[in-house]
Amino acid sequence: MERKTIFETVLDYGLTRRDFLKMCTALAATIGLDFAETNKVVAAMEKSPRVPVIWLQFQDCTGCSESFIRSTHPKVESVLFQMISLEYTEALSAASGYQIEEARKHVMENYRGEYILAVEGSLPTDDAFLTVGGTSARETFIEAAKGAKAIIAYGSCSSWGGIPAAYPNPTNAKPITHFVNDKPVILVPGCPPIAEVMTGVIAHIITFGTIPELDHLGRPKAFYRHRIHDKCNRRAYFDAGLFAESFDDEGARQGYCLYKVGCKGPTTYNACAEMRWNGGVSYPIQSGNPCIGCSEKGFWDNGPFYVRRAKIPASQTTINPETIGAVAVGVTAAGVAAHAAITALKKKAHEEEE
Amino acid sequence: MSIPTNPKIENEKMKIVWKKTKRAKIVPINDRVVKVYVWELPVRIFHWINALSIFLLMITGIFIGRPFVSAAIQEEAYYSYLMGWARYIHFFVAFIFTINLGVRWYWVYKGNEHATSNPFRLSFWKETLETIKYYLFMKNKKKHYIGHNPLAQLSYWIFIGMGSIIMMLTGYYLLFEPQPESIYGKMFMWVAYLFGGNSFSVRSWHHLVAWGFMIFTVVHVYMAFREDYLQRNGTMSSIFTGYKIERNSDEHDQ
Ligand code: SF4
Ligand code: SF4
Repeated sequence: MERKTIFETVLDYGLTRRDFLKMCTALAATIGLDFAETNKVVAAMEKSPRVPVIWLQFQDCTGCSESFIRSTHPKVESVLFQMISLEYTEALSAASGYQIEEARKHVMENYRGEYILAVEGSLPTDDAFLTVGGTSARETFIEAAKGAKAIIAYGSCSSWGGIPAAYPNPTNAKPITHFVNDKPVILVPGCPPIAEVMTGVIAHIITFGTIPELDHLGRPKAFYRHRIHDKCNRRAYFDAGLFAESFDDEGARQGYCLYKVGCKGPTTYNACAEMRWNGGVSYPIQSGNPCIGCSEKGFWDNGPFYVRRAKIPASQTTINPETIGAVAVGVTAAGVAAHAAITALKKKAHEEEE
Repeated sequence: MSIPTNPKIENEKMKIVWKKTKRAKIVPINDRVVKVYVWELPVRIFHWINALSIFLLMITGIFIGRPFVSAAIQEEAYYSYLMGWARYIHFFVAFIFTINLGVRWYWVYKGNEHATSNPFRLSFWKETLETIKYYLFMKNKKKHYIGHNPLAQLSYWIFIGMGSIIMMLTGYYLLFEPQPESIYGKMFMWVAYLFGGNSFSVRSWHHLVAWGFMIFTVVHVYMAFREDYLQRNGTMSSIFTGYKIERNSDEHDQ
């Protein structure tokens, strides 16, 4: 079947080649390419047809879809109508019921090995918790995964388990990687991920025909290689040793580092500090709220948002390591003192005997 | 050179000693007393560098985890570098700590019988139990040990051995994680899988084990003083001079 290329689709929409080139330039920047490499993007977009995408939602909150539709570079319209053809999505499809399920089956048959499977939300290991129209979510996923060219796990839920998997994890929710091992899975964690990161990953697949380079945890390096803390606009205050102690003190007003009000930036890998949110307007730390580490595994169980804690290994319990540590050392010192007293008494008694 | 040895010490059932061959040097003082060269120079140097490193790492580490003082000059970040220095010292000392430990591991092979022990023997654990009983003021059959008793040895294996390895792995992982492309980043990447999969849990391990070191230090210092107080054998001075005083007689084993 002859399909229109992305370039042709753009022209169909009444846009000019100049618009097309602008779109490609923005895309190249988003996916982290050199300006000189823009022509690669242009060439790819001229040749490749729109990529069919199936977007499945499981144990989620639709937050990732919400984020996705706020993409500004590239504009979500151009992604949705020109670059990809979103064949199935519960949130955005006009059709519903049998009609849309048919459409999904149709894509899975006709574009076998070509379509991208985007997944939002985690999967329960017990089907009883998520069965739609008589088919369990697990089966739906596995079936769709079979014919997919690549799988994108959008959001912390599909990447790590996320909020459904938070303690006590009533549905025994698992990340989608738990259910598939013969397909490349790109983890795009975040709660939700940044819109441009979401579209950027798709753009990369279209441009290069392969999945982007991933880091040791399976996340695209282009977006997750930097720590928030290392790109943070408040980092100078951290290094200087100037911290906001509470949200209404002078430090907070001065824009000091938010470390002591619980910032998880030092243990969080995401693109917020570089790409920012809402078309590059701002991001939490810039706006005065500490990073909550939403793109990290198990972020919901890593202690309160406004306190920094440590997790007791192999448990969901978080403690304040300094307080507990000081108490433990105190108890040890008391024990030592008691032991010393007994030792001294015994020695005295022994000497008197002799 | 013939070293005058005490037959009793020579025949002592030092099963828990790993290397029976590398005997500690023994110097007679008079008929009744000998000096035993228990801690060789590298062991003593290691001990003090290690102690100093742990001290510095702990102070800077606590500051990094929970900054207890703020920079004196407020408003502008330009004038201070408090956290920067704390981190710098922490990392610098971490490398010293590692090199120091590396030398000590080498000395496990090179050093005398007291430089290491063998916990993979049943007698080790039996004697550990007796030592625990001894410390709980219960009836026991604890032997007299010239070097460390097996409980002490066990605590070194756990804290100075295991503990240091955990601290180094988690520490270097956290240090190099932001540079995944660097050779060091690649070297320590696997550590995450061992300690919970993400930065946060690796960091948690680093913090908790650090406090383990503190508890160890309290007990260790106490035990050393106690031994000195009860045995009067120069335990405290031995970590400076290397020598412990032993009776040159047959009552030795009681
Ligand atoms: S990752 Fe966050 S935003 Fe996305 S579905 Fe899960 S809870 Fe919602
Ligand atoms: S606000 Fe957070 S991310 Fe920024 S420097 Fe402070 S601790 Fe680091």
